[in-house]
Amino acid sequence: MLKMSNVAKIYVTDTVKTQALRSFDLEIEAGEFVSVVGPSGSGKTTFLNIAGLLEDYSEGNYYLNNQDVTKLTDTQKSRLRNEQIGFIFQSFNLIPELNLFDNVEMPLRYRSFSAKERQRRVIDALTKVGLANRKSHYPQQLSGGQQQRVAIARALAGSPSFLLADEPTGNLDSNMADGIMSLLKDINASGTCILMVTHDLEQAHLADRIIEIKDGVLTEGIPSQNVVA
Amino acid sequence: MLRYYFKLAFISLKKTPLLSFLMIATIAIGIAATMVTYTVHYMMTQDPVPGKSDRLFTVHLSSWDPNVSYKLKDGKEDIPIFMTYQDATNLYADKKADKQTIISFHKTMMRAAEQPSGMATMTYLRPTTHEFFSMLDVPFLFGSPWSASDDSQGNPVVVLSKKKNQQLFRGENSLGKEVLIGGVLYRVVGVLDEWTPLPRFYTTRSEAFREPRGVFIPFQSSIQNNWSLSTDGSVYCWGEVDFVDLESVKASECVWLFYWVELSSAEQREDYLAYINRYAQEQRAMGRFQREQMNRILNVAEYIEYNEVVRKDGRIAIWLSAAFLIACLLNCMSLMMTKFHGKGAEVGLRRAIGASKVNIAWQFSCETVIVGVCGGVIGLLLAQLGLQITAQVYSHLHTELMEMNLELVIMTLVLSVFSSSLFGLYPIYRACQIQPSSHLKSL
Repeated sequence: MLKMSNVAKIYVTDTVKTQALRSFDLEIEAGEFVSVVGPSGSGKTTFLNIAGLLEDYSEGNYYLNNQDVTKLTDTQKSRLRNEQIGFIFQSFNLIPELNLFDNVEMPLRYRSFSAKERQRRVIDALTKVGLANRKSHYPQQLSGGQQQRVAIARALAGSPSFLLADEPTGNLDSNMADGIMSLLKDINASGTCILMVTHDLEQAHLADRIIEIKDGVLTEGIPSQNVVA
Repeated sequence: MLRYYFKLAFISLKKTPLLSFLMIATIAIGIAATMVTYTVHYMMTQDPVPGKSDRLFTVHLSSWDPNVSYKLKDGKEDIPIFMTYQDATNLYADKKADKQTIISFHKTMMRAAEQPSGMATMTYLRPTTHEFFSMLDVPFLFGSPWSASDDSQGNPVVVLSKKKNQQLFRGENSLGKEVLIGGVLYRVVGVLDEWTPLPRFYTTRSEAFREPRGVFIPFQSSIQNNWSLSTDGSVYCWGEVDFVDLESVKASECVWLFYWVELSSAEQREDYLAYINRYAQEQRAMGRFQREQMNRILNVAEYIEYNEVVRKDGRIAIWLSAAFLIACLLNCMSLMMTKFHGKGAEVGLRRAIGASKVNIAWQFSCETVIVGVCGGVIGLLLAQLGLQITAQVYSHLHTELMEMNLELVIMTLVLSVFSSSLFGLYPIYRACQIQPSSHLKSL
């Protein structure tokens, strides 16, 4: 599914070089649920951005579904993101001027689906998150948990093989967070690979594997309680 | 997909109404100012006789005083644009061109014969010959031009403009009716349809954009009436002459008549000029035309240019208004930069979920097109308002100068969309360069 070898990220400005991620190897199999934990500023989001093709890496190789993404053009990366990767953000990132249907439909608009196919996929995705009956509502009419469900529906609408979640429960209370985690488990159970960044160790333990990132160094294993911010 | 982009563009414009209003208003004001200036200039510089303006020529002769030049133009000696009576009638009698006409002027009291004398008004006349109407493609509503024999005999016949016919006969078919011009009874033989050649090239610069004269009579009838020349127009003389005595003016070297010819093709120009030079040599042999011979013939465009019908400051005004439009567009561009920068989070999100830079460029291009169309439409309305105000301020000029034709309306909209799209390119380029990862947390 995902294979990174010797991947590193260095930010360079006029005067400073910052090693955000030190060289690391990582392999994630299809259908796996992997949590990424680590203190704030440790490089978790940078790692997720690289995995989601939102940011280039400075060194190493990255294969997504056996495809070397290093050589892809910006447009090819966009297509790959659209077809194979789904994103879930901490702050939901819904467009407030669009209703739920239009928000979920967004990624499908950049694919050559017919209007009928788009509608079918949007309704299916909204049904999976239990909000099909509210497709005409606007994000601000929903609770935080419901908004995150819509964001999940948007990520699922394109049937991605790989879901990237950046602290999906960070803005939710514990009840809502439990509901979202339960939903993610269900999605994973249906075969979708999930890579989730979280601060919450309890949620991290719901994953098959845990990766810890600390000071840009990526290590596998269950972290001790004090490394999580 | 284009529908989707336009839908997003409308939503985006609604989201920031003040910014959208400022962008549209900035373009509208720039477009309006430019189009008001350009419309007047465009209407001033139109071809007044399409299809034959390169075959119509005015004839200028070097008949002036051998001791003093007529005038200096751009530091060089120039010759009169008018002709003496004897030269105009000699050339007219020769009939060397396909058509030729003499154009004169007069001002006198006039009324319909059936109207009481108190209804008479001071009227500007256009004494000319019958060829005038066919040479200038003048349309007739009723009747036709007078005949060649009316010209030669100086018969009292008259052609009225549509407006004059409305004033005198309430717009009815007035053929055969009589009007009293300067105390002489004239019979109506023709009524013109709407006819407003702009610029009115065949006469002096001062008349180029004014209401046309509405009464045409045979040139010879005005001569036979022995009307004094001092009532209207310009007469330039050298040598001895008695202004009060028309016979004296006719025999003098006074210049006061326009002379125009129509040739069958522009290529005949050289032949006709050779004829004019031969005529001048004959006159020189008889003791006239003693100055250096600078005889010339100018076609319509050349005469408009020579006569400075469109002043150079008009062109400067066009450049200034274009500069103002560019200033407005630069302002609009900075507003677009602000607007598109504010949409960084949305761009980041769309890029993350699979939109390419081209998709983003299309989305924002549709927004600039909508701004351009709205700016164009409002600019068009403002321009109409501006032209109406200009028409009121310059009420002595012809109203058609201040009217946009369909071509100009379309040009306004195209200019607005094109310029807003052009100046939107850089803000769009900047929006496309947004790094999705750096904006995803700010939506």
